[in-house]
Amino acid sequence: MSETTVTPDKPITVDEQEVAPGFIGQNTPRKEDRRLVQGEGVFVDDVRRHGMAYVHFVRSPYAHAAITRIDVSKATELDGVYGTLIGEEVAAETDPFFQIAPPPGGDLKDYALAVGRVRHVGEPVVAVAAATRELARDAAELVEVDYEPLEVVLDMERASDSATTQLHDEVPNNTIWQGNFDYGDYDAALAEADKVVRIKRLHFHRFSSTPLETSGAMVEYNRGTGQWTIHSNNQFPGFAIIMMAPALKVGMDKLRFVSQDIGGGFGNKICTHPQLVAMCLMARKLKRAVNWTEWRTDQHTANSHGNERLFLDVEVPVRSDGTMLGFKARMIDDCGAYTRYEPLGCIIWAQVTPGCYRWRNVRVDFSQVCTNKSPCGPNRGYSRMQHLWFTERIIDIVAQQLEIDPVEIRKRNYIRAEEMPYETPNGCVYDSGDYARCLDEALKLVDYPSIEQKRADAKSRGKLLGVGIGSTLDSGTNNFGQSTLVNPELQFSGNNEVATVKLDIFGEIVVTLGTTPQGQSHETTAAQVVAGILKVSPDDVNVRAGHDSYWNSHAGFSGTYASQFAVTGLGAVKGATDMLAGQILQIGAAVLGAESTDEVELDGGFVKRKDNPEAALPFMACGAIVNANNAVLPLELREITLNCRYVYVPPHQMPDKERKFGNLTLTYATQIHACVVEVDPETGVYEIVDYGAVDDCGVRINPQIVEGQVQGATAQAIGAATHEIFTYDEDGNLLTPNFYDYHVPHALDMPPLKTAYVESPSPFTPLGAKGMGEGGGAGLSAVASALQDALRGSGGPIVSDSSNPYNTVWDLLRKPEVSRELVEVEER
Amino acid sequence: MLLAEVQYARPSTLEDAVRLLGAHDGARALAGGQTLTNVMKARAAAPDVLVDLNDLAELREVSSGAGLEIGAMLTLTELIRSSDVEAGRPILAEVASQIADVQVRNRGTIGGNICSNDPTNHLPPLMVALGATMTIRGADGERTVDAGDFFLGVYMTAVGPGELLTRITIPAVGDARDGFASVTIGQDGTCIVNAAASVQDGQARIALGCVDAVPVLLTTAPDEAAVRQAVQSASLDPPSDVHASAEYRRHLAEVVAVRALAEASS
Amino acid sequence: MIEPVRGLRISVEVNGESHERDVEVRRLLVHFIRDDLSLTGTHVGCDTGNCGACTVIVDGVAVKSCMMLAVQADGSKIETVEGLARNGELHPLQQAFSSFHALQCGYCTPGMLMSAKHLLDNNPEPTDGEITRAIQGNICRCTGYVNIVEAIAAAAKGEVK
Repeated sequence: MSETTVTPDKPITVDEQEVAPGFIGQNTPRKEDRRLVQGEGVFVDDVRRHGMAYVHFVRSPYAHAAITRIDVSKATELDGVYGTLIGEEVAAETDPFFQIAPPPGGDLKDYALAVGRVRHVGEPVVAVAAATRELARDAAELVEVDYEPLEVVLDMERASDSATTQLHDEVPNNTIWQGNFDYGDYDAALAEADKVVRIKRLHFHRFSSTPLETSGAMVEYNRGTGQWTIHSNNQFPGFAIIMMAPALKVGMDKLRFVSQDIGGGFGNKICTHPQLVAMCLMARKLKRAVNWTEWRTDQHTANSHGNERLFLDVEVPVRSDGTMLGFKARMIDDCGAYTRYEPLGCIIWAQVTPGCYRWRNVRVDFSQVCTNKSPCGPNRGYSRMQHLWFTERIIDIVAQQLEIDPVEIRKRNYIRAEEMPYETPNGCVYDSGDYARCLDEALKLVDYPSIEQKRADAKSRGKLLGVGIGSTLDSGTNNFGQSTLVNPELQFSGNNEVATVKLDIFGEIVVTLGTTPQGQSHETTAAQVVAGILKVSPDDVNVRAGHDSYWNSHAGFSGTYASQFAVTGLGAVKGATDMLAGQILQIGAAVLGAESTDEVELDGGFVKRKDNPEAALPFMACGAIVNANNAVLPLELREITLNCRYVYVPPHQMPDKERKFGNLTLTYATQIHACVVEVDPETGVYEIVDYGAVDDCGVRINPQIVEGQVQGATAQAIGAATHEIFTYDEDGNLLTPNFYDYHVPHALDMPPLKTAYVESPSPFTPLGAKGMGEGGGAGLSAVASALQDALRGSGGPIVSDSSNPYNTVWDLLRKPEVSRELVEVEER
Repeated sequence: MLLAEVQYARPSTLEDAVRLLGAHDGARALAGGQTLTNVMKARAAAPDVLVDLNDLAELREVSSGAGLEIGAMLTLTELIRSSDVEAGRPILAEVASQIADVQVRNRGTIGGNICSNDPTNHLPPLMVALGATMTIRGADGERTVDAGDFFLGVYMTAVGPGELLTRITIPAVGDARDGFASVTIGQDGTCIVNAAASVQDGQARIALGCVDAVPVLLTTAPDEAAVRQAVQSASLDPPSDVHASAEYRRHLAEVVAVRALAEASS
Repeated sequence: MIEPVRGLRISVEVNGESHERDVEVRRLLVHFIRDDLSLTGTHVGCDTGNCGACTVIVDGVAVKSCMMLAVQADGSKIETVEGLARNGELHPLQQAFSSFHALQCGYCTPGMLMSAKHLLDNNPEPTDGEITRAIQGNICRCTGYVNIVEAIAAAAKGEVK
């Protein structure tokens, strides 16, 4: 890693923009850092209680089996073991989890522990609690479980065959969901085409962002009030509460979620509600606090994987000049053994149906099947990443088949900046972006004009050099109404996030957030927004660390996921702060004898008369008056509380269920990456020798933080493209259950990574910012694209899989005809 | 992640260490712990007694004489920093620095890497190529075993119950030229294949790792064609796993053998 | 002649403070630090010794504390992240990590800082390549390592913003 990031001196702005107010656009130092660099963060396993029990889950060694007997007696006899929990108890005390899918997919039964049957290796079967971690582990070994193995279903293509064993009695053909998407006029596009490129099969592999901190919880039960307090690193408490409360048959308010610091989430800490329910039941049963720590092996085997997806019988009508008219495909998504957040993935891809491109005619047959693999969760880039990889593969394959330059074909087909806001074929609205510009910047970062020379130089050293492009969009601020497109009976739509801002008695500014950051710097960026509006320094803004659903304001969609904080979270912060500012001005105007608030302004922690700045009321006085001295206020101002709660609600509409049409997301950040690889043709081993990532997330609240997200997401994408894969043996055992076998990028694996930024403000958001952070999917495409380019002269194999470890590259080199057979071009 | 109950002793003399290893059937030597602790975390093995060798200063010595005498408990970091090794057989330091990372090298030992004999380890094939000799101490005294006879199977060596590897003797380099090549999962990662080469007196000794339970030694003329021929004739039957198919490993074995030779010859 | 035991009373000095505890032999050093000494800055991120979140310095040497038994640290001097700051003043490495945005979620950070400190204790003028090698045993999923290397380089040069 010989180069560090290169940013242009000033952010490049696409539109004229007035000077950003306050601290927007500044690299304000992070508030989170002081405690984290001292090891004083509070992560869930750091939270201790006297007499706490440690829970270990006995997990299934089989991918699919009936449970015929469970005997915990030997375990409970062990000194120091406090108790156990089995599926039978769970089925008696809880209702199955609410399912998003319509029947029959939604009829499957999902409980906190396996009930009667196990459906993936690692599925929790029994919970054992003991005085120490080691004892709980020892006791687990004494639990006896008998299984009758059943046929294991691992092949997602065969999962829906009638002959295949059903995982869930209620779900025929293992098909959770199926839907058809038809936009524009695909048949006309086909008729109009000069050529039709057909790709038999593209495959997006199973992997996940594997956050360094595993999931966990410390749960307490208050017997007097029936209140559970769940200290956990779950990153979407809004969703967890909605899933858990009905299962536990209690009101929502009985579940209090608390977290302070979370060691990465990336969507992998959203679907832990089953384990959390088991913990709640244990806490109640044992009458003591219970701790659960997920081990790395548990996380890989049984937490949540990114969706695996097949794209079959892909058909792309094109004009001779490379204009792409549309695409048709059959898509199969494998969601693993249970549907925790699924089948939302079956619609979420439609936020980016055309990717970055202007094709108008799309026909997709999308189905989701369950298999005996780990359940999937909304891993970083959720469902869009898979689809965008698919669109980028199409571009490169069409370009190669038609012998069109990959840059040219993209520019020809990209949606143009002047077309923004752009309505896609299924009614989504891309708010802003200049893809061609971003591509130019990315190519500059890798010195594109010198590529041919570098290629020749590499060749002289016996290496094959290739350059590739990846274009993706990070769609953010979901409209949960898209859930009605997979299940019309659901009552979810829109989105929200909450924040409160108050002046305390002595004028201290205190902010609470409804979100659960796992490194995204919410405390810092919230302070920047508040400071800008109240005209103070971010150092004067106290943001409560962490989330507590008891005192944090939160709402149904509160949490940190789906690239939305800059819009929803900061939108809520802005809203609350604007309210507070207005109230402070009112107090100030009244006390300073002004006729109206127009005559006063905020400045440096004071309210001042515009005509006489010496007449100033400090925030401390405002706080004191309202809280402890309010008789001095005129009656009409006594409703002022200086404690403002704001719910940001994006302007979403209900989508059209019949047509599966409507705006599904508010913002679209752009990622265009360029990647240069050198392949050793003798071994298939390759190295990324240069990499440029361009990101456009609209107004950047804190550029350094945005850059950090881009770097991290890129590292994850590179890892996924090269070595990270969740792969199974024929018995359904995960072959990469730890960091030894599942190789993630370490420091020496990183290429020279350069970044650049374009700012196309969003016209739809309070700050012009867009959510970002999931965009690393571009790296998956850029690497695939670069490899295909590098191998062009070696028989022109087609990269058809998102996972490209050395063995795969060697196979491509050795037998290019095999992959070439996946593609054919029909001349019309 | 959590170990089963186990007993522990930390002897301060070699005699005591040997005695303890001999006195308990389920006793295992604890060297750097960079492999054994993980095995125990996974509960893939559950020794009854751990005999901690870290106080045995005599097992940490390096000396140069006729050859290089390296104490089995020398950590990989100490190996890399040793001026005796640098002068005596620098390939040892070169290969050791490719193993994992700083923290692992700070505790992991040359003896541990050799005795664990994981087929993907770096040092076993190097020992075979260099013609190292292992000194084993047991209740009956010391014996030496040549590297070629030392590695017996996956995770199995000539060190038996109640015995201890005390030192490794590497022949003086003389006019030998050594090389090492590997393909790893990520930089400095686990080896998919590796090969160690030593060329001397017009002959190349090439030891292939990762392709069998123990390193496979080929002796050939020191030219590429001969090496390729030797690898092909060896009828390797390497394992298939998530990182490489058997076919790919077989192919890579030939490549790294040639590259190890090339490094040795340069 | 010593005989094997199941537990030991151990003495350790951690960040300059002495502690005596009875521990089971099987207790890993990382759990001893976190659970017995309540120093929760050192973290557990994996179960195969790959991630380095548990890195501490034992007798001047950076080690992964999940691959040492607590009993092996008897009589040792241990440095953890909690010992870096002095009297409320951050260590230059800590300051640099913040200035250069070398942490996001902060989970790998303590281990990363200890690896960095070990590097600078032994090599006060490291090259970028040496820095990268020094943190090769510390996995980060958030940052992509770019800023971490920059921060350590800046701290080494005393150029902390």
